[in-house]
This record gives sequence, structure tokens and C-alpha cells, in this order.
Amino acid sequence: MKEKTKRNIRAGLILAFMFVIMGLMVYSRVTAKPSKEIFKEKLDKLGLWESPLVYLAIPALYIADYFSHAWICLLFAFSVAGLIYEFVPKETITRYMGRGKAVGYALALLMAPFLTVCSCTMVPLFGGILYAGAGIGPAISFLLMAPAANILTILMTGEMISWEIAGVRILVSVAVAIIAGLIVSTTPWGKTIEKEFQLASSARSSARVEIVKPPLDERLWSALKFAGYLAKQILPFFIVGLIVVGYLSAFIPEKVVETYLTGVTGVLIASVLGGPLYTPTLVEVALGQELWSKGMSKGALLSWLMGQPYDFANAMAVSRIAKWKVVATYMVIAWAGSVTFGLLYGFLSGSL
Amino acid sequence: MKEVKVEVIGPEPSCVRCQAAKKAVEKAAEKLKQAGFMVKVEKANIMSREIVQKYGVLVSPSIAINNTIKIMGRVPSPEEVEKLIMEAAR
Repeated sequence: MKEKTKRNIRAGLILAFMFVIMGLMVYSRVTAKPSKEIFKEKLDKLGLWESPLVYLAIPALYIADYFSHAWICLLFAFSVAGLIYEFVPKETITRYMGRGKAVGYALALLMAPFLTVCSCTMVPLFGGILYAGAGIGPAISFLLMAPAANILTILMTGEMISWEIAGVRILVSVAVAIIAGLIVSTTPWGKTIEKEFQLASSARSSARVEIVKPPLDERLWSALKFAGYLAKQILPFFIVGLIVVGYLSAFIPEKVVETYLTGVTGVLIASVLGGPLYTPTLVEVALGQELWSKGMSKGALLSWLMGQPYDFANAMAVSRIAKWKVVATYMVIAWAGSVTFGLLYGFLSGSL
Repeated sequence: MKEVKVEVIGPEPSCVRCQAAKKAVEKAAEKLKQAGFMVKVEKANIMSREIVQKYGVLVSPSIAINNTIKIMGRVPSPEEVEKLIMEAAR
């Protein structure tokens, strides 16, 4: 009996902590002044430009500035990602992953955002889906969907840029992921890989999986621990990225952004920069936000954000399983999708 | 007493959380061995043909005890693993 009360108290405490974070999030939303203050203007106001030390101070100032308004959002995003990862019924999803194409696509699109906040689970799952017999199509969809629309990036995009962009980002990711999956599965090299892997699955016996569920307080605790783990993995790169973003924000003149990151050329340039230029997770959101406030068009912003799935780090990891032809195909499709939908969105929203 | 086989399943090269899971399993196994249990710890590759054939798609890290997946996608405590192994040994 005593053990039980102890567990209840622990679960209650963790839940209370989560509620506080959520409350802070709501509070900050309600009281936030929609200040469009640009970092460079703040620097101007501080009158720091006379001293050469400003060049050293920029990264520190920028990071402090960024975290002063983003910390609650980051805290919220990481906790939610941890909670969802822990409580999403992984074994149900993985059991259905191997059952036919349509189910495979649906699961890949619905589940990728929740299962793969951490890139180290992404490539194994890609391999698993292939082996389990869902085929190359769903596997590719999963691979594209995961980095483009994972729960962390969507929350940060929505909070730091706008929920309109976040929503469009999800829709476009789904579209591009399905298209890429369908196209790759009809190419001869895609089919070769599928055949190669399906040999294994034909002999598959029913999987023996009996997941043990720990008590609630332990699950909540491990959700928080996972959130901490994610933060430890992502934040160091994010902070390094912010240093660069800080300099860019202080030194890129608005004129350059307005000339090169608007219109059709803007979308093209943004889509090319967004991909191969490897931006650690979440840095693309911060940089996108800066460029947007300097006059980048919405269409170019979307193209920029959609660049994640075809960056080099992902491609390298995947090319270990799939052949380079498959990698090249999906990269080209993802890039074309980012351009097409960037133009379309820019056109429809009147901000090209 | 039967021997208990524990497989720690993760990607190759191993990821941080899989190493943590493996450490927990090894700690539990060490303790149980001293108490007279027979425990064999193995490391398996989540992307190998045999593993997917046997278990289907998995989220890493996964832990199988006597060929049944018990833990998927999380790092257990050594105590939890200990309990699971003892159940299997019975």
C-alpha cells in the first residue's frame, strides 16, 4: 500500500511539473507583445557599434536574446516530444508496419513525426520497414516525413514563426513524402531493393513481442528523461547554429534578402541553400525566422524549411542501406517538391 | 535452472541510448550471476535480416528475453531488467 502511494505522489509531481510548463506556455502566449523587434535594431540601440568588441559580443547577445523569448517554448517542445514518444503505442505501430502498402504509407506519415525526434531511431526504422515487407515506398515516405515534420520542429516553427507556416509545412511534407514514396517504388532501382529485402520477409514467422509496461510514475519519469536526452543531443548544435545566425542577422543587409530571397529566384535559392547546407535541427527555424523578418517571401521561407529531408547527413546514413540511385531519386523529388510547393504557396498567399 | 538469453537490440554502430540499455542489462546480469542464475547477454543488430525476420520492425533500443521482446524504445533500469530475467528463469 505504501509503495502505491509513493508512486502516486511521484506521478502527481511530474504531472504537476508538466502542467506548470504548459501554464507558462499559455501565459507567455497571452501576455506576449507581438514585438517585431529585429536583433540588429537592438544592437543599434545599445550603441555598441563604436567598439570593435561588438564582433565578439554578437553571438553571446544573440543567444541570450533568443533564449530570453524562446526558452519556455523550447522547454515545452522538448517535454511534449518526450511525453509523446513515451506514450505512443510503439509496438502496435511496428506490428502493422509490415502489413501491406496502404497501411504502410498511412503509418509512415502519421507516425514519423512522433517516433523520430531523434535521428538515431530514424535510419533503423527505415531499414526495419523495408525488411518487414512494407516496401520501399512507405520506407521512403517515412524517411522524408520524419525530419520535415517531427513534433519538435513543428512546435518551434509554429511558436517562433507562425502557425500558418507550420500547418503548411505539415501538409507539404505529407504531399512530398507520398509522391516521393510512390515514384521511388516504381523506379527499377527501387524495385530491385524491394525484391532484395522481401525475400527475407516471406519466411517471417509471427513476431514474438510482449511489451512490459512499467507503472505510470516510471513512464512519466522516463518521458522526462528522454526529453532531457533529446535536449542534450540537439541543444549543443543548436547553440553553435545560433552563433552563426547571430552574425548573419547582424550583418546581412535587408536589401540583399529582399533582392535574392523573394520571387521565383528566391524560392530557388532558398531551396538550394536549405538542403545541402546542413543545418542542425531547429537552427533552420531560427534562421528562417531571421530571414523572414528581413523580408524573405513566405514562399521562399517554406522552401527553405522544406530543405531538411535532403541534407547530406541524412542522405549519407540512408545510402548505407539503399543504393545511391534511390538516395539521388528521393533527394531530387524532395528538392523539386520544395520548389514547387514554395512557388505555389508564395503565389496563393500573395507573398512570393 | 534454465539459462536465460537476453538480447539487446540496437543499430550498428550503437547509439547512446542503446549503450545505456546494454549497461543496465549487463549490470542486472552480473548481479544475478552472482546469485547463481545463468544469464547470457547478447548484442543484436536491429537492421539485420535475422532480427527483423524474428521480431518485425523495432524501435531501438529493444530488449528481448528468451526470444520475446519485452522492452521497446526505452532504457530500463537495472532493477527492472533483473525482475524480468528472474521471471524468465522460473
